Parts: sequence; structure tokens; C-alpha cells
Amino acid sequence: MNWNILLQQILNGISLGGVYALMAVGFGLIFNVLKFSNFSHGGVITLTAYIGFFLSQHLIPNFIVTFLITAVAGGLAAVAIERLVFRPIRRKGYPISMLIVNSITVAMLVQQFFAVTLGSNYYTYPVFIKETALHLGNLTVSKIYLLMLGISAVFLGGLSYVIRKTKIGIAIRAVSSDISTPSLMGVNVDFVISVAFFFSGVLGGITGYLLGMTFTVDPFIGNMILKGIIASIIGGMGSILGGVIAGLLLGAAESLLIAEIGAALTPIVIYGAIIVLLLVRPQGISGKIAEVKA
Amino acid sequence: MFYLKVLEITSLYTILVLGVYLMTGLTGLFSLGQGAFVSIGAYTAAIAYLRFGVPFPLALALAVVMGAVLGFLVGIPTLRLRRDYFLLVTFGLSEMVRAALLYLAQLTGGALGIAGMPKRVGLPLILGSIVAITFITYSLKRTRFGRDCIAIRDDELAASMMGINVYAHKIKVFMISSAITAYGGSLYAFNILFIEPNLFNWLESAKLIIITFVGGLNSIAGVIIASTIYYSFGEFFRFIDVWRDVLLAVVVVLVIIFRPGGFLQGLELLPSKLRAMRRGR
Repeated sequence: MNWNILLQQILNGISLGGVYALMAVGFGLIFNVLKFSNFSHGGVITLTAYIGFFLSQHLIPNFIVTFLITAVAGGLAAVAIERLVFRPIRRKGYPISMLIVNSITVAMLVQQFFAVTLGSNYYTYPVFIKETALHLGNLTVSKIYLLMLGISAVFLGGLSYVIRKTKIGIAIRAVSSDISTPSLMGVNVDFVISVAFFFSGVLGGITGYLLGMTFTVDPFIGNMILKGIIASIIGGMGSILGGVIAGLLLGAAESLLIAEIGAALTPIVIYGAIIVLLLVRPQGISGKIAEVKA
Repeated sequence: MFYLKVLEITSLYTILVLGVYLMTGLTGLFSLGQGAFVSIGAYTAAIAYLRFGVPFPLALALAVVMGAVLGFLVGIPTLRLRRDYFLLVTFGLSEMVRAALLYLAQLTGGALGIAGMPKRVGLPLILGSIVAITFITYSLKRTRFGRDCIAIRDDELAASMMGINVYAHKIKVFMISSAITAYGGSLYAFNILFIEPNLFNWLESAKLIIITFVGGLNSIAGVIIASTIYYSFGEFFRFIDVWRDVLLAVVVVLVIIFRPGGFLQGLELLPSKLRAMRRGR
């Protein structure tokens, strides 16, 4: 293997890694706030992949408009899921395990719903951007991949700014570190949680759209969340930056491994590596970990 | 004959649900990787029997041991951490085992799977196993070990303060669960007579957990009833069979929100309890 191919693989991997990063952060955001693994994020991704497809194919043949509508739709879907499924449980003070079961159930509901209704077909997004490539020396970069990477960067950067600097971001962080005390300071915890779900849903919507655009849309597209979850673990669950770095790393590692040892062996190596990582450094690369409070 | 087949399949799945009950219902550990243990059990038994001429009972025993060993290996790094890591890693585990089964095509037949097992598992063996496993689970639930597990489920920190070795308990429970699940897988191989790497995806594993919650965390009887209804449902209501999982999902969300103890509210159907109920107590 020469250096050129190596670099090329890393480049390809990083652009897919951008999408992994989106998933990792969308998943990690809810994990931070409510301390549970939100599998319904995969459901949001599936749902928005279909929404994006039907919008762009049948209603508005415009990339930017459909993209933004899909992102907002994802946000609203996540808020709706939170209202209908998670909030009643949270209000009654049931254990976190109930939240996990409900999130798994929602993921199953979405997947099976689309499998029954639209599962017999694969849908392909209309082509908005001509498949052209930029040449940088000997390297080729697909424009779509660049666009994906750019979009991921813009949204993740924006989210990071909101979380760090704005009032609602501070409220989200406050609720993350302690769910009951902020309400004593006049923070509307329910609203803050809704907003967190909205942000996470927007990231899910973008992920769904980008995944749908890159691959074909089928009911199982939400299972890609597994990659996001892995990135989230590597990044150390607690941090946006960790999730982003881990997503990019995972994407690069994956495409390198596929080129080097083949697609069959790659998942074995990656999951094996995760188990070893948890043994050696469970807090992930960022060193932050969501704490369990008694 | 048809109903016999339905009963066989339903009972096979009930064994898997019982395996999950011990882990999820009693100890509060979530695994989305039970599919991996089903596959390991099925493949171990089938390969041992067909390729190496191991006698049938020994092949089943081998499957059980393999399940427990894999459970041990996965449990060591993950059960020390908070439960979510365990959940997430087991989610990946089923993918990993699937990939491994596809990759080791010389041994496992790859995507073509393995066929040609003789039908050695009939209804008597399956039902007998259910009775035995239920008995074991119920006994465990009533011993000190089982009560420790329930304490861990309800409050891990408090349990460890009371001197319970949480990590060791979790590993033991996970090993027992994995062994039962692998056993279920080996029975599956010798009953259905065909196995392939996609036997059991994460969704199937998720359903095992979901059914446990519908039945109720504290009620083995509820779990068995829920599993029997769910897995035989499709055979009797063919016309809405495709909607089965959507229906299940809606039912589960409602049960969890309105009856979090499961539909029997943690009641165990024991003869003594039933008699008491009839007397109107």
C-alpha cells in the first residue's frame, strides 16, 4: 500500500466520520442530560431519512430547503417522542431502566412501522449535486463528501457554541449535572429537556438526510446509530469534542481497515478494540465521563 | 401437528426470555446482544455434532459452556462500568459475532448457514427445559443470591454499601443468563434444523427485554405468559401478523407508563396464591 491510497482512504473515512460524529453527539447530548442510552435516536434518523426523501422527491426539489425542513422535522419528532414516551415516566419518578426500555421500543416501533409500510422498496434521493470531484494533487475528493463534512462541522460548531455560551446552553449543562436543583434557581427543567431533545433531534434529522443521500433509504438505516454509539463510547460519552474526534477517527479507521483487511474482518477488529478500550480506559479519549449520582 | 409446531417455537423463545429474565428482570442488566449467545449456542452445538461427531447431549453441554465463557469474557470489562456501557457493548457484540460467523466460513458455512442436523429436540425436551429453568430461576429469586440481585437492580450503590459484591454478582448472573440463552440456541439448532448468521438480530434481542418488562420484573409467571402470547400471536392472527411488532411496541409503551410493574403487577402465579385469590383474599 502506498501513501497515496492510504491518504485517500483516510480522507474518505473522515467524511463518513463526520456523520458518525453527528450521531455520537446527538446520542451523547441526551445521555448527558437524562443519563440513559437513547436508542430512539436511531428511530429519528430512520424517520427523517424517509421525510427527506419524500420531500425532495415529490414536493420541493431543492437541496437546501428540504435539508432544513428535514432537520427541523427531526427536532420536532424528538420533542414529540420525549413528550409522549419519556416525560410521563420521568414525572412519575420511575427508574432509568424504564426510559431505556421505552427508547428501545420506540426504535423498534419506527423500524417495524416502515418495514411494514414501505419496507419492500429501496428509495434513492434525487441527485442534487453532480457527482464531481476535486483533485488535490493525486488525491480525489468527492464534492458530496466535502459537503457532508462541511455541514457536520457547521452544525456541530453551532451546537458547541450554543451549549457553551448561551443561556439555554448553560441551563442544559446545569440540568446535566443535577436534574433537580436547577428548578430551585428558576430554571424550567421540562423546557430545558425539551430543548435538549430538539437539538439532538435536529442532529438526528441531518444524519438521516445525509445517510439517506449517501446510501439508499430502507427501514434499517437507523441501525447505523451503532456507529454513532461506538464513537460516543470512544469519545467518552460526556463531551461534544470527544464525540467529534472519535467519530472522525472511527470513520478513518474503518475505511483504512476495510482497505487493508477487508470488510468481513473490520467489524470484528473494531468491536474487539472497543472492548479492550473499555478495559484500559473506560472514560474514553476525552477523559470525561457522565457521573452516576446516588 | 400445526399447533404442535407453534407450541415448540413459542416454547423455544420462552427459554430465551427466561434467560433474559434473570439478567434484566432480576438484576437490571440490559443486553441487546442475546442474539450473539443464541448464535454461539446454536453454532457450537451444530458444529460439534456435525463436524466433530460429539454425541448430542455433550454437544448441548458444550454450547452451555461456550455461552458462559463468552459471557464471562464480555462481562469482565463491561460490568465494572455503569450499566449503559454493558448495554452498548452487547449491542455491538451481536454484530461482531455475526461478522465472525460470516468470516469463519470454512467452519460455519458462512452466509449459507448450517443444515443437516437430525431432529433431536422435540416438545418434551423443550417443555422439560422450561420447567427446569423456571424452577432454577424461581429458586434463585428466593435465595440470598437472588435477593442480592434485586437489591442491585433497585439501588446499586446501596447494595454495595450493604456488603454485596456488585461486580461479582453481575458477572455470575450474566454468565448464567448467557448459558441459558446459549442452551436455548442449541435446542433451536436441533429443532428448526437450519441456522445462519442472521438468526437473531438486535431487534430480536430487544424484544426479549421488552417482553420481560411487559410481563413484569418481579413476576416469572407474567413473563412466561407474555412471551407465550407474543410468540404464538402471529400464528393465530395471520391477517395482522406484519403489524405484530408495531402493536407490541405500542402495548409496551402503554404498559410501562401505566402499569410499570408489568401486567400482573409482580404477582407470581403459585398454587397457594391462586387458592388465596379464589377465596377472595
